[in-house]
Amino acid sequence: MAADVHNKAWESQNGSLVPGARLRHERSDSPTPGLVEGTEPGAGQESAMFVHARSFEDLTADSDGQAEVNSGKESDLGQVKDEEGRVVQHIETEDQQTGTSQGGARAKEEDVTSEEWRAHKKHVFVLSEAGKPIYTRYGTEEALSSTMGVMMALVSFVEAEKNIIRSIQGDGYRVVFLRKSPLVLVGVSRTSQSDRELTRELLYVYYQIVSLLTLTQLNHVFQHKQNYDLRRLLAGSEHLTDNLLRLLDRDPGLLLSAVTCLPLASSARDVVSSALQAAKTKSLVFSILMAGSRLVTLVRKKDQSLHHMDLHLLFNLVGSSSSFREGEGWTPICLPKFNTAGFFHAHISYLQSASDLCLILVSTDREDFFNLSECKHRIVERLRRRSAWQALQEALRCPSYPVSQVAIPELRHFVYKSKSSGLYTSPELPVPYQTDEEQERLMVLYQYLHSCLHHPTRPLCSIYRCGETENLFAWVTSGFELYLCFSPLGTKSVAVSAVNKLLKWIRKEEERLFILNPLTY
Amino acid sequence: MTAMRVDAKVVMLGKESVGKTSLVERYVHRRFLVGPYQNTIGAAFVAKQIHVGDKVVTLGIWDTAGSERYEAMSRIYYRGARAAIVCYDLTDSSSFQRAKFWVKELQNCEEHCKIYLCGTKSDLAEADRSIRQVDYHDVQDFADEIGAQHFETSSKTGNNVDELFQKVAEDFSSSAFELMPEGTGVDLGQKKDSYIYSCCHN
Ligand SMILES: Nc1nc2c(ncn2[C@@H]2O[C@H](COP(=O)(O)OP(=O)(O)OP(=O)(O)O)[C@@H](O)[C@H]2O)c(=O)[nH]1
Ligand SMILES: [Mg+2]
Repeated sequence: MAADVHNKAWESQNGSLVPGARLRHERSDSPTPGLVEGTEPGAGQESAMFVHARSFEDLTADSDGQAEVNSGKESDLGQVKDEEGRVVQHIETEDQQTGTSQGGARAKEEDVTSEEWRAHKKHVFVLSEAGKPIYTRYGTEEALSSTMGVMMALVSFVEAEKNIIRSIQGDGYRVVFLRKSPLVLVGVSRTSQSDRELTRELLYVYYQIVSLLTLTQLNHVFQHKQNYDLRRLLAGSEHLTDNLLRLLDRDPGLLLSAVTCLPLASSARDVVSSALQAAKTKSLVFSILMAGSRLVTLVRKKDQSLHHMDLHLLFNLVGSSSSFREGEGWTPICLPKFNTAGFFHAHISYLQSASDLCLILVSTDREDFFNLSECKHRIVERLRRRSAWQALQEALRCPSYPVSQVAIPELRHFVYKSKSSGLYTSPELPVPYQTDEEQERLMVLYQYLHSCLHHPTRPLCSIYRCGETENLFAWVTSGFELYLCFSPLGTKSVAVSAVNKLLKWIRKEEERLFILNPLTY
Repeated sequence: MTAMRVDAKVVMLGKESVGKTSLVERYVHRRFLVGPYQNTIGAAFVAKQIHVGDKVVTLGIWDTAGSERYEAMSRIYYRGARAAIVCYDLTDSSSFQRAKFWVKELQNCEEHCKIYLCGTKSDLAEADRSIRQVDYHDVQDFADEIGAQHFETSSKTGNNVDELFQKVAEDFSSSAFELMPEGTGVDLGQKKDSYIYSCCHN
């Protein structure tokens, strides 16, 4: 396997950049795709929809102290009841483990002393600072209480010396620790992922838990009782974390800190966006229409933007549970990147019961259900009246595109992220990568490329790597990130010329693949 | 089409997995979904019209999640409810303890809310008597004591489900007749006065 690496920026080689003019027709005609942030294919016309995560570093940096101002704060958060008030419930929860929470396909029954259990590629454990088990990806928490006790002992032992344990490397695996008081998260991985990446995944799990409880409530329960069993409050949410971990293994969006869109004619998307924009009410902060795991459009309150991580948590909530299929859901949700202290309230419903179109209306007012319900009806009504409805239905029939549309013979797959919009596009997986194992293997390759481009001390601008099963190429500029997978027969010069061709194709298709006109209300 | 006007707010309460969602599913969609159990997240709202005599009553049903996580929020779901269907699983005695907790909460906070105790999964209890953990007569005594109605239902077979909701609608309709001039219902879209949350936890 040969790795050919460039440390030099590509900007100089590619010469001139697109000037600042951002009119749509000019954008489409411009011969050279912009290398500068804001001019790259897929860049939005106005301000970005998402909180700007400029880099991977932003994401891994601890930003808890800098949560944005919010209006969604609620006053009842401190009102979690004390232990005395809950004696009865406590008993119930102890003996309920047999009957409930065995959501779906969880491999919960797995024997934690078995070889199969040990052989899992990636384990994730969450425990309290008292060493109490809170979550395990495989097996049951009960069976692992002594293991988690040992983990906590290890953490405390190192901390007693005023040190912090970050990771341990052993024979073919690594153990990564993330300390987010009052929780401790531990990952045990046999993959080639770096500590940083594993830590980032643990951080996602941490935010998943915070999104259900808020950090305020989390701190509150542990302040009252150090050895509180948090599973009581998390009961029934295990499948959310399970699903999130699956997404982390498969979904390039979580790796790239970006979201992908449903391909849709820009005229139709604009109609949908304005339908969402028109149906507003005072408490509304974000209106999000999604199709499966793809964004159709997102309209937000002026001056507010959503962090992609929070959006992924919302997607995960909707995607992992069929309970929103019927009726209208109304649930508290904390968007931890917005504010870890308060709950928003999300109105979640499908536009039609058998359709994939799910509408999420995020409100600051928990009393506002009926107003939001009214908004939903207005949106449906407005969409039905327009031809956009038809366009939307057609787009849903082919939510993706084959890589052959790009007409680059050696190209098998790619992921392109426009940095300024926080959106990415990627064709459907071709035949050799359609099984779960192959899909995950490709993701591992992309993860590797990603970690080279985002190395904390020696980041690369581009990397070309030949392998037995595929050749890979990745390139980052200030405007975009691009990851490509070629058949192993190609050469580096084929790859380089493919990039230009691909960028031109994306530029040509950008109106369909991206949201160029994000709206606010 | 605008949002349906709701006459009576009905709330489903009870420990997780006792079968609240299944009950609503059976009543509204006439089906029983088999397959892995999915916890309700937060709560789900569905409106359903029901005939009482020659009148039509629209029930706005709130199917809440049983998880303790949402307990602090539960008031937003049951506030202003005219009826509460408090569910427990006939094969799980702890779920009846939890039902008593909800009854107390309702008595403290929603005095105008009528309570319907509903023992679920009666098909299981009938198929194998030994797995029944909640005695019919014990619950009946408790129901008499608190002035509640008492049903045992099966969402799997549909047994007694329509009867339960029919009773809820009839009770509402006769009390609505007593309370207010004909034709006016409770408009749940209306903003209520703000309330002090902590009142019901002391
Ligand atoms: N045999 C039988 N099983 C039932 C019946 N009702 C519910 N179940 C099963 O009980 C489990 C829980 O049902 P749900 O209706 O989802 O419970 P829930 O009360 O809504 O639970 P939460 O949403 O977590 O509060 C499911 O596996 C159902 O299939 C019934 O009448 N008979
Ligand atoms: Mg339910």
